[in-house]
This record gives sequence, C-alpha cells and structure tokens, in this order.
Amino acid sequence: MKTKTLRIVIPLAILLIAGIGFAFHLGIGNLSAFGWEDVSFLCPLGALGSMLATKTFIPKAVISLVIAVVLILLLGRAFCGWACPVPVVSKLREVFSKKKALPDNGIEPGNECSTAVLTEKEKEALKTCRTCPSSCSSCADVRSKVDSRHFILGGSLLSAAIFGFPVFCLICPIGLSFATIFLVILLFSGGDVTWSLILVPALLIAEVVLFRKWCSRICPISAIMSLIGKGSKTVRPVIDNDKCLETAHDTSCGRCALACEQAINPRHPEMGASWSECTRCRACVDVCPSHAITIPFLPPKGGEGAKAKVPAKTKD
Amino acid sequence: MGERQNGEERSEERKKAANGRAKPERLYGGMTRRTLCTGVVGVAALLGIGAINVVPKENMVRPPGGQDEEQVIGACIRCEKCVESCPRGVIAPAHVEDGILAMRTPTMDFADDWCDFCMQENGGIPLCVEACPTQALKLPAGADPETSVLGVAKIRKDWCLAYAAAGCKFCYDACPYDAIYLDDDQCPHIIEDRCNGCGACEAVCVSLKNGSISHGANERAVTVKPLGEKGGAQ
Repeated sequence: MKTKTLRIVIPLAILLIAGIGFAFHLGIGNLSAFGWEDVSFLCPLGALGSMLATKTFIPKAVISLVIAVVLILLLGRAFCGWACPVPVVSKLREVFSKKKALPDNGIEPGNECSTAVLTEKEKEALKTCRTCPSSCSSCADVRSKVDSRHFILGGSLLSAAIFGFPVFCLICPIGLSFATIFLVILLFSGGDVTWSLILVPALLIAEVVLFRKWCSRICPISAIMSLIGKGSKTVRPVIDNDKCLETAHDTSCGRCALACEQAINPRHPEMGASWSECTRCRACVDVCPSHAITIPFLPPKGGEGAKAKVPAKTKD
Repeated sequence: MGERQNGEERSEERKKAANGRAKPERLYGGMTRRTLCTGVVGVAALLGIGAINVVPKENMVRPPGGQDEEQVIGACIRCEKCVESCPRGVIAPAHVEDGILAMRTPTMDFADDWCDFCMQENGGIPLCVEACPTQALKLPAGADPETSVLGVAKIRKDWCLAYAAAGCKFCYDACPYDAIYLDDDQCPHIIEDRCNGCGACEAVCVSLKNGSISHGANERAVTVKPLGEKGGAQ
C-alpha cells in the first residue's frame, strides 16, 4: 500500500478498534489512555495536566511520561504523521474548499523544479542563502525556536494549574474524535440522545477545519513532541549523496523540500524548519526522483564526509 | 493536511521575494507578529476555558471512587476508559446538558443495570477504579459498597405506579440493601441512611422506559440523585 494511503488507513483503523473496544466493553481504551484493564499509557499532555491540576503525584502518569519521552526520542513526531486522527479529519477541508487537490506528487502545477544543471551564479546564490543568518522573514518564521504552539502548551498547563482541571483535554481534537464515535455508539446502543452529539463533532470540525494550521501552529501535543524531538536522531531521513541529483549531478532539484508537509528542507536543513518537526511521513522518500532518501533506524556513523552517506545534519 | 498549506504559503512568499516586493517583516523575539498573536490569543482562550471551573456546579452521581467532585474534575482527562471498562454498562459519559465542564466525565446511567462494585465480575474491586489512569476515580483502602455511597434514591410519587394503587413493588424486591420499605398502602419509601445509590431500584422501575427523546421521558419514578441535592418530588 502507498504510504499516503497507509497514513489515512492507520488512524481510521485506530478509531475503529477503539470504537469496537468501547461497544463491547473490552477495556482497551483509546489514544487518550490505552492499555489493557489497569495498565494504561496516557497522553503526555493529559498526564501533565492532570498532575498539575490535582497537585498530586500520579504513578501511571509519571510512567506514561517516561515512556512518551523515550518514544519521542526514538521516533520524533511520528505520532502526528501516522496515528493521530486530526490530519485525517482535517481532510474534510478539501470537501469544503473549492481549490483542486494537489496532484499525487504533492507539487503544485507550475511549481515543479527543473533539473537543470546549476550555473556558477546559482551555486553562489545557494551558498549565500545557506549562510544567511535567517534575515528573511520566511526563514525566521519556520526556524524560530519558539512558536505559537509552545505558548499554547504553556497556557494549557498554566490554566490547568490555576483552575484545577486539565483544561486542554476539554477541547482536545484527538479526544473529541474518539468522543464523537463513542457518542454515536451510545446513541444506537442505549438511545442516548444529547446535544453533545452535535456539539462535540461541531467543535472538532471548527478546530481542525477553521484553523487550517492546527497541527503546526496550535496543537500543544505537537509542541511537546517537537521540544523533546530535538534530541531525536533515529529513524530520520538520510540522503545518499551518491544518488542525490544535487550532489551527484550538480543539478537543482528540491523536490524533497517541496514535498515536506512540515516545511523541512532535507537537502539544506538550515533553509527549512527544524528536524524536530519531522513526522517520518516518508513524503520526501517517495518523491525523490533518484531514490536517494532513506529512513534508516540509526543515523549513519562517521558523520559528514566520512562516508558517502551524509546524515542530513541538524542545525537548530 | 494542514501543513500542506505551509508549503503553498512559502512558495507564495518565495514568488513575492522574486518580484522584489517582499519587505523584511518585523520580528518579536524571533517570531513574526502572526505567531505571537496566535500564541497570546491561544493562552487567553485557554485561561478563559479554565475559568469555567470557577462557576458553581451541581453535584453528579459518579462511579465508585468519584465522590470527591473536585478530584474527578481535576484529574479526569475524559478518556472514557471507565465507561468502556464497566462490565454492566452503567457508566456513561456526562453530556453538555450536565454542564460544559462535566462533558465526557463519567456519570451513572441505571437504565438497564445497577452497580454492585463489580462484586460478581471482580470480587468487589470496581473495574472502573482499576481502569482510571489518573486516579480521578479512587477508593480509599477497605472501601466497600456499604460505606461508599454513590447517591441516594428518590421516589416521584406522581409517577410511581404503587402510589397510583397499581400494586407495583419491583424496587422493593430489587433493593440489595433493604433500603426500601412498604407502608400500609403498599407504597415504597426510601430509607436514606441505608441507600448507597446502587441504582438497583432505578434499573427495575417500570413506570417509564427509555425510548422517547423528549426531556425527562427516560427518567423513572425512582431515580438515584447525587448526595447533597434536595431533588425528587417527595
């Protein structure tokens, strides 16, 4: 199956499994807290919010936080790319929007890159841009160490501590996605008729459809992952310089940067968003015309220049 | 995907730059004004939502271990795992009608069954308490159904069939704690000191059944009310 399809199928399968578990009282939970019976793995934001709100030490929350940190260090924001239902729900936007969906390769028509051989002038331009101390605003915005997500993460924890309940959980679109399914199950199994049946999905859709950049600008869970993910060096895209059109044939390409939904530029990391934003979605792997990009578990040893394979280096 | 737009916008910016129209945007601590505004508005919104908790709220009938309302609201992350783990399906998520803050927190629904603290299913340790990952439901050591009171049953005399001389005494027969007595007219009364709000009476009450969507139509003549509430037309 194509990764693009898989990334829609997996979150839907998670919703389905949670729905089956809920309908048949299996006790497997959902993404807010999953696990068998009394074993639970909590959402890290829920765990933090709950402990801050009650000012108590909750063993399951602390264990979950430790596991979450380890998983994020290993996989970065892979949760966002592969398990979270929000990107799937936000596809509803395409239903409402009049714009045509992008073609399969994710590149807008008219924005395709030529593979022309770089002139000396262009190479020079590339060099200056690489060394530019983020003076242009477009660079500064994606490269800034703090963005609106981090404010919202801080705000939700502060609000939880002041007002004594995990505030973000009330409006979390991940929780609302599961709640919508559970409400429908309760409607049919128990005749549970409530205004929540309208309010919960309406709130969910308002959040992810009206705020089109929910994941990269607002979501505090994404903020946690990008903060901890700064230390993640594993399972990351690596470019094979012997195959990459830019290094092997001195031509311009840049398809990987255009394909990246997180605005990372794998070839020139200093020109795009930080590597901590990588969701391991494999868009760059799939789009690369010379199959130069792979996502190995461990970054190649030796660093730059030691081998033909150069780890796309981090520069935060 | 939300981030797809990112690329679009960046390419627009790139085009602008190519036309020589782009001005360097003013930055605030490395952030654009837009980022800063989104952040500040978001924080304000979250503090606003948090302030809902300042509004006084009504007590609710909670599952075992959820009798400290402050602890339930404070710790519950609305994962609905307790609802799912209940083998009898008597826990239901609260809805917006119960208050915005209570939405998706657990409450009791005795429409079809009642709570025996999982005596049959788990030897008296409620599975919902075991399932709760954040201790929003937490029973003190040695707690049992006799001492942990979920709520108290109230009878609506104008709905009760016995008070209409129909001779019904299902609730009296169902009560596992002998908390209901019949008076000389064979009408049931609740002994509140003995009632622990298990819902056995409500589950068997036949005066009204589910099936209508009009408000109150699924409420029965005998219902469990939260403690500290002077509800129920006595």
